[in-house]
Amino acid sequence: MKLKSLLPILIAIAALFTLPLFIHNPYYIHLVETILIYTILLYGLDIVVGYVGQVSLGHAALFGIGSYTAGVLYFHFGWTIWGTLPASIIVTSIFGGILALPALKVIGPYLAMVTLAFGTIAQILINEMTWMTEGPLGIKIPKPDLMGVPMTKAEYFWMVGIILILSMIVVDRFVKSQVGRAFEALRDSPIACDCMGVSVYRFKVIAFVISAAFAGLAGCLYAYSEQYISPNTYNNELAVLFLLGIIMGGRKSRLGALIGAAIIVLLPKLLDDINLFRIVASIIAIVVVIGAAMALSKKVTTPRRVAVPIAGVVGLAAFSFWLNTISDWRLSIFGFMILLVVYYLQNGIVGFAKSFYQSIAGKAKTTRGGDHEEVDDSISFISTVANKNTGAELLKVDSLLMQFGGLKALNNVDLSVKRGTIHGLIGPNGSGKSTMMNVLTGIYIPTAGSVLYAGESVVGKTSSDIALSGIARTFQNVQLFGEMTAIQNILVGLHHTFKSNMVEIALNLPRYKREEAEAHARALALLKFVGLDDLANEEARNLPYGKQRLLEIARALALDPELLLLDEPAAGLTAPDIKELLRIIRKIRDSGITFILIEHHMDVVMSVCDTVSVLDFGQKIAEGKPAEVQADEKVIHAYLGT
Amino acid sequence: MLAQILSSGIAVGMIYAVIAFGFQLTFATSGTLNFGQGEALMLGALVGLTCVDTFGMNYWVMIPVVCLFGMIQGSFVELIGVRPAIKIKSEFGWIMSTIALGIIFKNVAENIWGRDALPFPSPLPMEPMSFLGANILPMEILVVVGALVMMLLVEFFNRKTIYGKAVVATANDRDAAGLMGINTSMVITFSYALSSLTAAFAGVLIAPLTLTGATMGGALGLKAFAVAIIGGLSSGMGIIVGGLILGIVETATGFYFSTGYKDVPGLILLLLVLAYKPSGLFGKSAIKKV
Amino acid sequence: MLSIKNLEAGYGKVKVLHGINIDVPKGQVITLIGSNGAGKTTTMRAITGMIKPTAGEVTLGGEKIDGYDSHKIARLGLAHSPEGRRVFTTMSVTDNLLLGAFPRFTGSRPKGDIKNDLEKSLEMFPRLKERRNQLAGTLSGGEQQMLAMARAVMLNPEIILLDEPSMGLAPILVEEVFKIISNLKSQGVTMLLVEQFAAAALNVADYGYVLENGKIATHGPASKLKDDPAVKAAYLGGAGGH
Repeated sequence: MKLKSLLPILIAIAALFTLPLFIHNPYYIHLVETILIYTILLYGLDIVVGYVGQVSLGHAALFGIGSYTAGVLYFHFGWTIWGTLPASIIVTSIFGGILALPALKVIGPYLAMVTLAFGTIAQILINEMTWMTEGPLGIKIPKPDLMGVPMTKAEYFWMVGIILILSMIVVDRFVKSQVGRAFEALRDSPIACDCMGVSVYRFKVIAFVISAAFAGLAGCLYAYSEQYISPNTYNNELAVLFLLGIIMGGRKSRLGALIGAAIIVLLPKLLDDINLFRIVASIIAIVVVIGAAMALSKKVTTPRRVAVPIAGVVGLAAFSFWLNTISDWRLSIFGFMILLVVYYLQNGIVGFAKSFYQSIAGKAKTTRGGDHEEVDDSISFISTVANKNTGAELLKVDSLLMQFGGLKALNNVDLSVKRGTIHGLIGPNGSGKSTMMNVLTGIYIPTAGSVLYAGESVVGKTSSDIALSGIARTFQNVQLFGEMTAIQNILVGLHHTFKSNMVEIALNLPRYKREEAEAHARALALLKFVGLDDLANEEARNLPYGKQRLLEIARALALDPELLLLDEPAAGLTAPDIKELLRIIRKIRDSGITFILIEHHMDVVMSVCDTVSVLDFGQKIAEGKPAEVQADEKVIHAYLGT
Repeated sequence: MLAQILSSGIAVGMIYAVIAFGFQLTFATSGTLNFGQGEALMLGALVGLTCVDTFGMNYWVMIPVVCLFGMIQGSFVELIGVRPAIKIKSEFGWIMSTIALGIIFKNVAENIWGRDALPFPSPLPMEPMSFLGANILPMEILVVVGALVMMLLVEFFNRKTIYGKAVVATANDRDAAGLMGINTSMVITFSYALSSLTAAFAGVLIAPLTLTGATMGGALGLKAFAVAIIGGLSSGMGIIVGGLILGIVETATGFYFSTGYKDVPGLILLLLVLAYKPSGLFGKSAIKKV
Repeated sequence: MLSIKNLEAGYGKVKVLHGINIDVPKGQVITLIGSNGAGKTTTMRAITGMIKPTAGEVTLGGEKIDGYDSHKIARLGLAHSPEGRRVFTTMSVTDNLLLGAFPRFTGSRPKGDIKNDLEKSLEMFPRLKERRNQLAGTLSGGEQQMLAMARAVMLNPEIILLDEPSMGLAPILVEEVFKIISNLKSQGVTMLLVEQFAAAALNVADYGYVLENGKIATHGPASKLKDDPAVKAAYLGGAGGH
């Protein structure tokens, strides 16, 4: 299953393996070796950039820490590679964890700055702590010994190749496992991620640690490859180059990392030789123009859209003929390539090649992998809680006060929800309904009052702990993991069923395989329950709105909740969709799960709720059976006015 | 000794504050930052150098020329790097493209002005004055005064002119500003122009005190960002305080440890602030809306 | 003055408005009522350019404005007091009001006497006059609503759109707000009023449209709609539901 998808890249690497047999020039062997090493690093970087979706400018520094761990241990203590390799991985992983700490609460530009600051500090420290690192003098490292004799260039090359293949398999396993899904969930919706029991903080640290491990591995291999390391290699320019590599090659792709690595290694060499550059630039210009012509003739794109890329590559080719040396303009070329990639090649070369091929061949493919699978109907996908005492109090909210500055969003609200019931929460806009949801799921910490769930206080617990203790929710503005498929969304909800650890994932041990298969089957059953099983492999953001809402409910069910909070589930749904929604809600209730339902659609509230509480201005103004509440004067006034 | 550290630190700190001010401007109106802000400073300094050296301009006459250059450069960055990213709602997009533009500017500068650091003629006498035991260069005083004047001018513009109010309104609530008839995308372009203007101005202020060259932007940009974060991206006063803190701590570190480590405390401070109070010492935390 | 034909709009994949027709003649107060989620605010946003309509047309004083950016529409004389007030919280009451007149400063609208109009505004809204130099963010909900309306008036607009002015306000403040709307009406100001509080809206309006699930369910003179049982049903479901 897993090796098949890796076939193309395995073939590519196998081909590379045979290189030293044909080419004896050490320069070229070294060049390809560097590409392989950079690929390992880019696998690590891809975890942060492709899967967690953040910009990291700190990976050159992590790379350097890996190199210097090897260098320092060799230089001061005479360790061999069999010691320095694991040491580099471990030490760099630790630094990855340290880097993650200031990055926990921030995303986007702030996180990028954290990594930039980290990278700058690391480089300064390596440069200044000469007592350990020899500073600007650098450290010389000989090739490692194999059976008493230093390895030849070819032997080291093969060792690097083998390590690359192993890294690739391990990375592939990680990203396809529950860990990889957690990373993507983190990227797509941190709030939903926490509310599905996957702690954002925890997985951010894990992402950085794993990413750093690969960087450290690459750094160590690099040290032995270059046989000399010095601080100024691991600078911000290299960090940007790594970013360029992963974006240009293609994120979330093993082949993309290899292509990206090849580009960033070969490009500077290309730029050193002006004639070669002119040839390559011209070829690229011709290819792009032909490709654009083909696309235009098939009406896949418009002249306006291809204007800039064509102008760019043709201009580049022309520029190369005008100059005598291009190496001075190396950085500008990189910058220019970044701009091009960011706006025109967002999915990298790999992504672009895929979609280009598909658009030319006339296929539209929005589903990812997997054929339609049969659902195992024998699976009980909703864990029944029917054996618990229905009617007992499950949730008790007492004198809840939620104040934002001067505004009392919730003002002294009491709420008691009985097990096995569907409790409606209604009220005009701004009355505090969603605020209540957010307090119950730990997104807000109440200013005062108590919230007891099954006897235990919820106040102060993290959202992910609350989710794991049995409270699941949906959101007013759908918070699906957009770039992940429907079944992957459910699998994130099933994260709590996975007990296997990193080692078991990396080695594909039986327990992990079993957990993955079971979760997969259960996810399919859940999808079938809400009628989405034939859309299992469709990206969530492409689903029609009504189906997205149902998917959110199925995802919440995956948590095995006792209390399900639905925030305006019928909003924007058409009448037939609402019928389906009610059917689903009733079926879930029949397994003993308790509901709190925020709704504006009165008909939904009336037909399915056992009790209804009405909020207005953050206060409860009425409570009782639906029909009673509907006739209540205060409620009518709150909605209609005098 | 302490007085010397304080006075040098204040001068350095004010430069950081002025650059950080630029970060604040664009962040407030558009939620984006120019990762190449340091390069805007560098270009300002080099263009200023050319004006003064090659064209024989008087330093004071050169300042408005450099400011104009800064405005053009800032508008260019916004047009090429930021506007397309805002349109496709890609945060990744403007982060990477402002980084890319910064790299390109630095490379272009290297090719035009060379890689060496060049001296910048000082408009004021270079003999230090003695004050409370510290040696203060007249240029340092100009730096502090210039920085404060620039920030005050922008504050004045924001508070007293209707166009300035339009900018503040856009920063406060972009949609509502549009409803008032304010062309918010022009406001964003303008805020980038203004941001690069302040950076370029800071460049010609600091150039006589250090050496001018293509590499001067990198470290300054990062530290200015640290100041913006430490002070809080929404607080003007916070930036000045943040700048002073950083400037003084840095100078002290350079003095008591080695100059190689000078940059470290600022960066560590940045990491600490981001770890514990990302909205900055003076900023307000945002309430999550779900 | 303002004419909406077959308007369709939504957010991404969610289509909220399925073709609505509204006519706001000059000098009249037209109200758009309906329950939450019916599409009232979406209608407002589509008119004022905060979202782009997917179909249909919006005409202001004869000019087609559907698809225009907000600032262009404002410069044509359409003032919008948005849902949630959206006053500029870090600026003073006076500054907020001055910004309401922004197109007059820049020449996109006839300048008139801005200073005079500012004073007149403050006279009409005594609560604001007391707090003219206070930051808008420190005002109470009711005062912010006054400010949003006064700000719209400062444009000297052809038409004012009021989006849920009563939302989140205590009853006594709601009374004040509607008194001011009456006041404006007697000065001949054309208004489109979107309201959750149907009763109050129908009291002050000339004509009303009832929006249900993105379509106009019924419309007619306000006095007739007040007594219409269908209006009550639209708000509290019940008999006839879905």
